[in-house]
Parts: sequence; C-alpha cells; structure tokens
Amino acid sequence: MTLASLAARNLLRNKVRTSLTLLGVAVAVVTFLLLRTVVAAWTGGAEFAAKDRLVTRHKVTFVMPLPKRYIEDIRAMPGVKASTYCNWFGGKDPKHEREFFGQFACDDGYFDVMSEQQVSPEELAAYKADRTGAIIGESLAHVMGWKVGEVVNLETGIYPADTPWTFTIRGTYRATSRNVDKSSFFFHWDYLNQALPEARRDTIGWTISRVDDPARTAEIGVAIDRAFDDKDTQTLSQDEHTFQASFLAGFSAVLHAFDAISLAILLIMTLILGNTIAMGVRERTQEFATMRAIGFMPAHLRWFVVGEAGVLGLFGGALGVAIAFPLIQGMLGRFLEENMGNIFPVFRLPFGATVAALGLAVALGVAAALLPARTAARVKVTDALRKLA
Amino acid sequence: MNKPDDILIRLRGITKTYERGGESLCILESLDLDVPRGSFAALMGPSGSGKSTLLNLIAGLDKPTAGTIDIGGERIDKLSEARLAKFRASSVGFIFQSYNLLPVLTAAENVELPLLLAPVAASERRRRAQTALRVVGLEDRMDHFPRQLSGGQEQRVAIARAIVNDPLLLVADEPTGDLDRKSADEILTLLETLNEKLGKTIIMVTHDPAAAARAGVIHHLDKGRLSVEAHGEVHA
Ligand SMILES: Nc1ncnc2c1ncn2[C@@H]1O[C@H](COP(=O)(O)OP(=O)(O)O)[C@@H](O)[C@H]1O
Ligand SMILES: [Mg+2]
Repeated sequence: MTLASLAARNLLRNKVRTSLTLLGVAVAVVTFLLLRTVVAAWTGGAEFAAKDRLVTRHKVTFVMPLPKRYIEDIRAMPGVKASTYCNWFGGKDPKHEREFFGQFACDDGYFDVMSEQQVSPEELAAYKADRTGAIIGESLAHVMGWKVGEVVNLETGIYPADTPWTFTIRGTYRATSRNVDKSSFFFHWDYLNQALPEARRDTIGWTISRVDDPARTAEIGVAIDRAFDDKDTQTLSQDEHTFQASFLAGFSAVLHAFDAISLAILLIMTLILGNTIAMGVRERTQEFATMRAIGFMPAHLRWFVVGEAGVLGLFGGALGVAIAFPLIQGMLGRFLEENMGNIFPVFRLPFGATVAALGLAVALGVAAALLPARTAARVKVTDALRKLA
Repeated sequence: MNKPDDILIRLRGITKTYERGGESLCILESLDLDVPRGSFAALMGPSGSGKSTLLNLIAGLDKPTAGTIDIGGERIDKLSEARLAKFRASSVGFIFQSYNLLPVLTAAENVELPLLLAPVAASERRRRAQTALRVVGLEDRMDHFPRQLSGGQEQRVAIARAIVNDPLLLVADEPTGDLDRKSADEILTLLETLNEKLGKTIIMVTHDPAAAARAGVIHHLDKGRLSVEAHGEVHA
C-alpha cells in the first residue's frame, strides 16, 4: 500500500458520487469541445483559404457564364501567375439518383492552380491523354465504388444530350487540405465544349487564378474587374480569404457568445469538482484527524485532497474526450460536413482544444480542491477526535 | 525492568485552560504525574473531568497552557507542530474508543498506515503489519475491510496499528467503551499481554472500574486534580 493507492481507494469509496462527478465533468468537457469545434469550423475555413487565389465570375450571378476569351485577358494581367477555368455540369448518375456530387468541366491546368487537390503524375497523364477522361475525389470513389478505368454515365438537365455523357475514370485526387471538397468529379472542358451546339460553345463558368504576391491579391482582383468594366460582360473577383473573413465578420457576436459560454462551462466544471471534493473532505474530518494523530503532516493531507481532485479531473476530462471524439469526429462531424459543408467545411475536433480541455479539467480540479485541501490540513485534531467519543 | 526511578512520563505543573465565550475554563490545574516505564496506568474520572485532555497532552496531540511534559527525556511541550507530529509517529501508539480505522483500507493496510511515514520498504511494511496482526490474533483477517469485522476485531486491528512501529508508549482513550463485556475483556487481556510480555507502557482512560482493575495503577481525575489509588482498592 502507498499514499497514492490510499488516495485512489478514497475515490472509489463513494462510487455513485464519483461516477456522477466524472459524468458531470465529462458532459462539461464534451460541451466545451463542441463549442470549440464550432468556433474552429467557422473560423477554420478562412485560415485554410489560399491567400494567393482569386475567383473571377460574372458580376451579376454565378449562374451566368463568361466568354471563354476572358481567360486569355486574365492570364495576361500583370501579377497573375496561372489561371484556369471551369463550368458547372450539374449531372447525376442514373444508377445513383440520390447521390449528390459536384461535377466540373475544367481546363487541363486546373490541378496546377488547385494544388491542394493532388493527382499522381501517371494518372494525370492518363487523364490528359483521354478526351473523355475524368478525375474524381477519393471520397467520391469510395462512396460510389468507382475504380480507375471504370466507365461512368452522367445525365444533366443543363446540357441535354440524346445519349448520356460517358466518361472513363482515369484517376483520383487527394485533398491535402481538409477544407477542400473530396467528392468532386472533374473532366475536360474541351469534351463538354465540343459536344455542345454551336450557340452554346466557348463559355466558362468562372476562372481561378493564382497570383505572384499574396499581399496584392485584392489589388489584382480589382485590376481584373476594371479591365472588363467597359466590356459587355462585367466580372467580380474575390480572393478566398477576404471572402471568408467578410462572411465571418457577420458572426463575430455569435463567436464571442460561444467564448463566453465556454468559460461558463469551465466554471460549472470547477464547481462540480469543488463540490465533490468539499463533501468528501467534510465526511472524512475524523479520518484526517486520525491520520494527523498517527503522525501525518498537514502537507500530506493537502496533497492527498489536491491529488484526488486532479485525478478526478483527469479521468472526467478523459471520459469527456472519449465521448467527444467519436461524437464530433465520427457522427456529427461527418453529418455536418456532408450536409452543411458550405457552413462547416471542416467540422473536426481541434487538437489544441482537446489537449486544453484535458489540461483544464486537471488544473481546475486542482484549483477547486485548494480550499477543501486547506480545510483538511487545518483539521483541529483534538476537537475532531472528541466528536467521535 | 521496572525500576521505580525509571520514569517514562513526567508531568510537572500541567495547567490546561480553554477559552469559551470570553471566560477561561480551567480543566487541568497544576498537575504532576509520573508514569514509570513499562507500567500500565488507568485514568479514571467523571465525564468532562479532562481525562482525554490529559491523555492528548501526554500523547503530543495538544499543548499545555503551563507546565512541562517530559517523555523519555524529551520536552514535548516545547516541540514545534512538525516535530510533534514526528514524535507521535515514532513514539506513540493511539487506540481510540471508536477504533478509527480507515474504511477503504484492509486490516493489513490499516496496520501499515503508520509505516508510510517511516523509511521502510513496501515488502518490509507488509511483513511488519502481518507480525502485528499475528500479535493481536488476527492473522486470518488480514484482507478483511473494517466493515467485515466485529467491533472487538476492529479494535484489535487498531491495536496492531498502534504497536506496528514499536512505540515507547500506548495511549488508549476508552478503548472498550463501544464493546460488549466479552470483547472488552479480550481487548483488556491483549493490553495486559502487551504490557507484560512486550513491556509496553500503557495509559488507558476508562470509566469502567472492571477495566481499570486490569491496570497496575489507577489515577483519578476530578475537578482538575489527580489522586492515585493503589491496585485493588475501591474508590476513595
Ligand atoms: N477545544 C475545547 N474548547 C473548549 N472546551 C473544551 C475543549 N475541549 C474540551 N473542552 C472541555 O474540557 C472538558 C474536559 O474535556 P475532556 O478532556 O474531553 O473530558 P473527559 O475525557 O474526561 O470526558 C469538557 O468540559 C470539555 O467540554
Ligand atoms: Mg474523553
């Protein structure tokens, strides 16, 4: 037997109370982590956004296309390093009517500009060599069960055709940044364009450009829009980061409220732990007096109480993380990313917050125990022992 | 072994007053007491006469308002709280009326408890606890928890805990107060044995004349004063 094992036994003495306290701490930790995850998911998109990328689209709406020749003008703009373009296809696989995924007809330079979507050189070469080739996201391949080499037929109301559009999967892309969609379907813009009736050819949905100097992204965007100001079709260029930041600004009050609630939850956790520890100490006054009579020092008792609280905080915190992990990472995160991906592109437990929650559970347990520990250390031995007789 | 001049406990001019509601209450008044090494002394007196107070002073749990306490050559009335705790750990074995075992520890672990304060290896702690439990006749109850023991057995575990670090002195405050006659007799016989066979000096507070009769000498405490009664006599 050691002092530590004695402390551990004390935790197990009142199993119901200890369990309820652990559960209370765990619920507080789960709630805390949920809030931190929401905040991180909201602000995270802006942090992940490439600061050197510009999206240029029709000034009025996304749905209206730009003339294809605009891409040459944009590529010629000073400061623009590379530029690519895409069209929204909006198709469905008749065999998987209920599966929604984005399809984009893009220029072959797409994967150079979108470096977060990586394709192996061999697959990219095979894709470029096949007019009807397609590159799909790893998750999409997984969900649909599509393999490289497989032929896929898609139907779309936007580009009616007598026969379904036929594609051959030539490769998959891997997302190196978590906020990048992993379920998209890319194919050659040329394939789409050539199949269209004369009147609908040579239009593009939007362009994506990389600039030389991330500090000048906004400036270059303004220059692009100005260049098309007097043309028949005007443009709107936005960089990913400012777009997300302006979106977030509207939510700053909510985010502050979440911070305040997080603090309140930590306070509640401290009170739960403090209450349990204080109750345990009060019940054990006579045991502490006995230990003091036997020769234990006030410092022993102080460590005893503080250590007990720390362990309680640690186990409660660990239980909370153990619940939060599958809940947020598995169920909730996947659901939100799949169904509300535009608001929560990355709904994942932030590592820092997880470590912080564990650390805080221990630290606040210790803090909550300081007062009861003082009480234990100051037990008036003769008085406490007299009460027994 | 029991030389009359070999005094283990020497109290001189012990006064203890408590402040209560602004007035001071004198519980012990200029007491002198000598307890020879290896003796078994009983302390009797009416309830509230200050028996426990006196025992606590001797055991180093409390300090006198005035007077000197010498235990085995050490002036414990002058020790700091920390030194006093060390003194209790090494020199005093406590036996309480309500046993005061820790409910979360087994009998053997309860007995081991005082050894945690001494530089004793875990295996040695375990071995000494077993020896002490054998002395009190509970070697077959080592791994029982206090709630699984009878009152008499609990008190025997408490006695094992009190002797495990081989103290100079055993103090017992009404050790049979919560026990039936038969268990009480067993405890008293055990204390007698510890006194006679192991030479332990014992001071026992009791208000049971039958218990006091087991001791070699009976001190009476009344109205702050002590008087001695020779063995066998009835109350003065
Ligand atoms: N801390 C204290 N403050 C005030 N009075 C006390 C305190 N401790 C003991 N007393 C009083 O001292 C007297 C003696 O107490 P105690 O030694 O416990 O008596 P006994 O053990 O002989 O019954 C009692 O009247 C008790 O109320
Ligand atoms: Mg008493």
